[in-house]
Amino acid sequence: MTERFNDSFHPFVIPFLAGMAFVITVCLIKAVVVVFQMESGERRRYLLSLLKPNIIVKNIYDIIVDCLLHVRLWKRNRMLGFMHSSIAFGWFMIILLGHIQVLLYCPDRISTFYYPIFFDWFIEGGQHTLISILLDLFLYVILAGIALAIVKRFYSRLFGMRRTTRPTLLNVIGLYSLWAIFPLRFIAEQCARSGNLTLAPWWAYSIALCVFMCVLPFSRYLHIPAEMMLVTMRNAHITISRPGKGIARVQTDSCPNCGVCIDACPMNADPANLKDSTVYLTRQIRRHNDRRVGQISDKCMLCGKCTSVCQVGVDGPKLRILARAARKYNIGPDFSNVRPDVPKSSGKILYFGGCMSQLTPLIGRSIESVLKKSGVEYKWMDRDGGLCCGRPLHTAGRLKEARELVLRNQEAILASGAHTLLVSCPICYREFKERYVLPGISVIHYADFMIELIQSGSIGLKEKSDICYVYHDPCELGRGCGMYETPRRLIAQAAGIAEAPKNRTESVCCGGSLGSLSLDFAHREKITRASLQNLYDSGADAIATACPLCQATFSRYSDRPVKDLAQIIDEQTVAVIDNSRRRETGCDIEGATLAKIGN
Amino acid sequence: MTDFGFKLSKSSTIDLSRVELDRFEELCRQEPGAKVCIGCGSCTASCPAGRLSGMSVRKVLLGLQRGQKVNDMLQCCMLCGKCTMVCPRGINTRNLILTICRIYD
Amino acid sequence: MHDNIVIIGGGIAGMEAAKALLALGHTPILIESAPTLGGHVGRWHKLFPDLTSARELVARLRSEIVGANIFLGTQVISMNRLADGYSLKLSNGIVINASALLISTGFKLFEADRKEEYGYGVYDRVITNADLEDWFSGADDARIPQQPQTVGFVHCVGSRDLKACNGQCSKVCCATAIKQAIEIKERFPFARVYCFYMDLRLFGKKYEDFYVNAQRDYAVQFIRGRVSEVSETIDGHLQVKAEDTLSGKPLKMQLDLLVLMAGVVRNTAVQELTSMAGLETDSDGFLRSRDNEYAVVESGQPGIFYAGACTGPKTVPETIAEARSAALSIHAYLKTL
Repeated sequence: MTERFNDSFHPFVIPFLAGMAFVITVCLIKAVVVVFQMESGERRRYLLSLLKPNIIVKNIYDIIVDCLLHVRLWKRNRMLGFMHSSIAFGWFMIILLGHIQVLLYCPDRISTFYYPIFFDWFIEGGQHTLISILLDLFLYVILAGIALAIVKRFYSRLFGMRRTTRPTLLNVIGLYSLWAIFPLRFIAEQCARSGNLTLAPWWAYSIALCVFMCVLPFSRYLHIPAEMMLVTMRNAHITISRPGKGIARVQTDSCPNCGVCIDACPMNADPANLKDSTVYLTRQIRRHNDRRVGQISDKCMLCGKCTSVCQVGVDGPKLRILARAARKYNIGPDFSNVRPDVPKSSGKILYFGGCMSQLTPLIGRSIESVLKKSGVEYKWMDRDGGLCCGRPLHTAGRLKEARELVLRNQEAILASGAHTLLVSCPICYREFKERYVLPGISVIHYADFMIELIQSGSIGLKEKSDICYVYHDPCELGRGCGMYETPRRLIAQAAGIAEAPKNRTESVCCGGSLGSLSLDFAHREKITRASLQNLYDSGADAIATACPLCQATFSRYSDRPVKDLAQIIDEQTVAVIDNSRRRETGCDIEGATLAKIGN
Repeated sequence: MTDFGFKLSKSSTIDLSRVELDRFEELCRQEPGAKVCIGCGSCTASCPAGRLSGMSVRKVLLGLQRGQKVNDMLQCCMLCGKCTMVCPRGINTRNLILTICRIYD
Repeated sequence: MHDNIVIIGGGIAGMEAAKALLALGHTPILIESAPTLGGHVGRWHKLFPDLTSARELVARLRSEIVGANIFLGTQVISMNRLADGYSLKLSNGIVINASALLISTGFKLFEADRKEEYGYGVYDRVITNADLEDWFSGADDARIPQQPQTVGFVHCVGSRDLKACNGQCSKVCCATAIKQAIEIKERFPFARVYCFYMDLRLFGKKYEDFYVNAQRDYAVQFIRGRVSEVSETIDGHLQVKAEDTLSGKPLKMQLDLLVLMAGVVRNTAVQELTSMAGLETDSDGFLRSRDNEYAVVESGQPGIFYAGACTGPKTVPETIAEARSAALSIHAYLKTL
C-alpha cells in the first residue's frame, strides 16, 4: 500500500473541507444557543448530566440504538427501518472504518482528516484488506438504502405509508445531494482502483458532500445532529417549558419529516386536516410561520398519538400547548374567593366526578352503586357541581389560570381529610396525577379501585355476561396516564372482550376531545365515525370505554351500545355481605384493602 | 328646575340603528357558530363558572349583537367545555369565547 | 295484477288511505308489521286540541276498512321492480305484484335514553311522553308517584338538537306537552306543572287557545330555557338545571316527575325497504318527496306514493288529509297505466 502522490493535498478536497467547517460551525452555534436559552436550573442539570458516567453510557447506547440503528422505526415499519438505518449506520461505519484504515496503514496521515474520505485517491492498492472489504460492504448497504429511498420517494405506498410530506426546495437539494454522495464515491473509488485517475468523480463526490453539509442546518437533515442532542436532553429529564426555545427547539429540529405521524393522526379521517399533523407543525415552527403554527396548534385534539408513533420523540401536544400559551386572551378567572364546597370526609374516600360526568350520570351512579355494594365509606365531592380540575385551561394554554384552579381544588381536597381521591374522568385523573400535590392522599382511578375490590372479595362477580365488548382506550387514560391493561382485565372478568385493530398506544381518538379549540362539531363527525369503524372491526357486540367524553361522542353515532367500564362492572357485581353487618364485624375494607391500593 | 326626585338617565333603550356590528361580523367570520345561536340557555345552565360568577355565554353573544359591552363576563370562563357538549346547535362555544376575547379585547 | 295497491304501514295514514281507496272502488292490500293496526296514534290517549279519544279514532278507521286485505305481523322482505309495477315478497311467503305502492311507514320516537344527561333509564322519576300516554290509558307505571307535587316537561328532547343527530323541529311536541300538562293537572289538581321550552310552536287550529287554556285554567308555568342536565338529590328528588333566559338567571328546581317530550325521528326500521325501493332520503333524514311544496305524496319512483310522517313530522289532521290526497293520486295514476 503506497501513497500515490508526494503531496497529501488536492484542490478537490476544498469543497468538502468548506462544507465540513460550515456545518460544524453552524451546528455548534445552534447547540450553544439552545443551551443558553434553557432555564438556568435546567441548564445546570443538563450540563452536569453530560459528565455523569452512567448517563454518558446511556447517551451513547441510545444514540446508537435510536439515531444509527433506528430500532424504533424497525419495529414500526421494516422497510423504512432498513432504509434509515442502512444510510445512518452504514455511513457511520464508513467514517469509523475509514479512520481505522488510515490509522492502520498510514498512521502519519491520521491528522489529515479528509484522508479517510478520499482514501483511494491518495493511497494505492488498499482494496484487498479486511477493512477495505468491510468498507465496500457498508457502501453496498448504503446504496441499497438509497435505492429504497428513491423508490419510496415516488411510490410511498410500497412502504405502507398512505401519505407522506411534500419536501421543500432546500429539502429536495439536500435529498438529491445525499442520494448522489454514495454512488459518486463508489464510481470514484472504482476508477481510482483500476488506475484511472480522472478527477471528475472525485470533484463531484466532494461537491456533493459540500452541498449536503451546507444545506443540512437549514433542511430536515438538521434532525441528524439535533436528534443526538435530544437523546442527551431526554436522558437528563429536561422537560419542555418555553415555546421555540431550549428542548422545544431541539424537538422541532429533530423531526426528520418522515411523515409517520400523518397516517397516525385521527384527524386525518377528514382530508381537510391533512396539513395539521405534527410534521407540519415542526415545519411551520422552523419557518416562523406564526399564523399556521397558531392554526395547527388550535385544531389538534392533543390525543398524543403522533408522539406515541414518533421515532425521535417529538411531543406534538406539548409543542402545541406552548404555542397556545404564547397567545394572549382576556381570560383570567379570579378564583381567589372561590372555595369549592367539599364535604368533610375524614378517613373516607372522596369521589371526584368532574364536570363532564354530570352530562353522563350513569358513570357516577354506577361508581356510587359499586361503592355502596362494597360498603366503603365515601363522599361525593362535586355531586352538585364543583370547580373544574384545570386541565381544559391547561390544554388551552392558560397555564397560570389552570394553576390557580389546581391550587383551589388542592386546598379543598387536603382540608377534607380524605385518605383517597377516587377519580372517574381520565381528563381530571391525568391533571391530578401530573399537577396536583396531595401529600397523604392517594389519587386512584376507579378501574384500579374496582379491580382491587374484586380481588379482595369486597364485591362479588356475577356469572360472566356473554356480551363481547371492545375496549376503546381513551387518549387521556391510555397514552396520557399509561393505563392500558387494568380496564381490559376488569372487562375480561365481567364479560367477553375483543380487540380493535388499532388499540392501546395506537388507539384512535373518538373525535370529541376537549384538546381541540377550533375543530367544530360538524367536522368531528368523520373522525368519530372512523374511530368507531376501528372498533366495529373487532367484531364486538358493544363498546366499552372509560371516559365521559368518549361515551357521549360515540353514543351519538354508534350502531351498538356504548357503555362505561363502571357501568359494566356495576351490572356484573353484587354485594358480598350487607353493609350493616360489615360495620359490626369490623370487616374494614378501608384499613386493609385501601392501604394496599394506596401503595 | 323642578326636582322630580329622580334624574333623567341616558336612555336604556337599545338603538339598534346606531349599533356598530363590524366586530360582530368579524366574529362571525372567524367563528361562524356565532350566527346560529337560538338562545336556549343550555350553555349557561350547565356552566360551572356561571354558578360562581353569573357568566352567561348566551347573554354575551346577544349583548354583542345589541352593542353592549358585556364580554368582560367571559373572564371567568374555565374553558371546561361543558357548554360545547350541551349546545343543541353544535356551536363550538369554547372557540367562540376565545375568539370574542381576541376580537373585543 | 292490474290495480293491485299495496299499502305498507297500518297507522292512521295507511288506514285512512285504505278507506279512501275502498271508496274509490279499489281493494287495497294493507301490510302492518305490528300485530295490531293503529301505529303510534293507537297508543295515544287523547288528541289535541279537542281532547278526543285516539282509540276511538283508530277503532272507527278499523271498522271502515274491513273490505281491504289486511296482513298483520307481516313485513316486506324483498321487492323487485317490474315493467309496470313492483313484485313484493312478504314474510308470510305471499308474493304480490302491485301496480302502486303507498309508503305510510310513519316515524320513530326518539330514544330518550340517548340523551343521557336527562337521565331516562338512569333515574326513577324520568319518563317520556309515550310512557305518560300509556299511563293515561290505564297502564301501570311505578315511576309516576302517587301524588306528585311538581311535574316538569322538557320540550325538544331529540329534536332541534344536532347532538342527538336530529336538527329538525318535531312539530307536534309543543302541543302534546300542553295537552299532557293539562291532563296531568286534571289528575293532580294540586301539582305545579312546568314546561321548559326553547320556542313554543303552536301553529295549528285552536292551538293558541289550548296554550291560553293551559296558562289560565290550569296554571301551567312556562319557562323559556332548555334543560341542560338532570341529577338526583340524596332524598330521591330530581333536580333540573336550566337558564331562565327571560330573567337571565340560571335556574334549578326539584321535581317529583320529569316528562321528556321525545321527538319524531325517521323510522329506521324501514331503511332496508326504502333502499330496496330506491327511495331517497331528504336532508332532514325523512323520505324525500318529489316536490316538498307541490307533490309531497309522490316519491321519485313511478307508482310509489307517500302518506303521513314518513316524509316528516305531521299532526293527525295533516296525516289524514295527506292519506286522502295520496289515495286520489294513486287512483289517478292507475288510470294512466
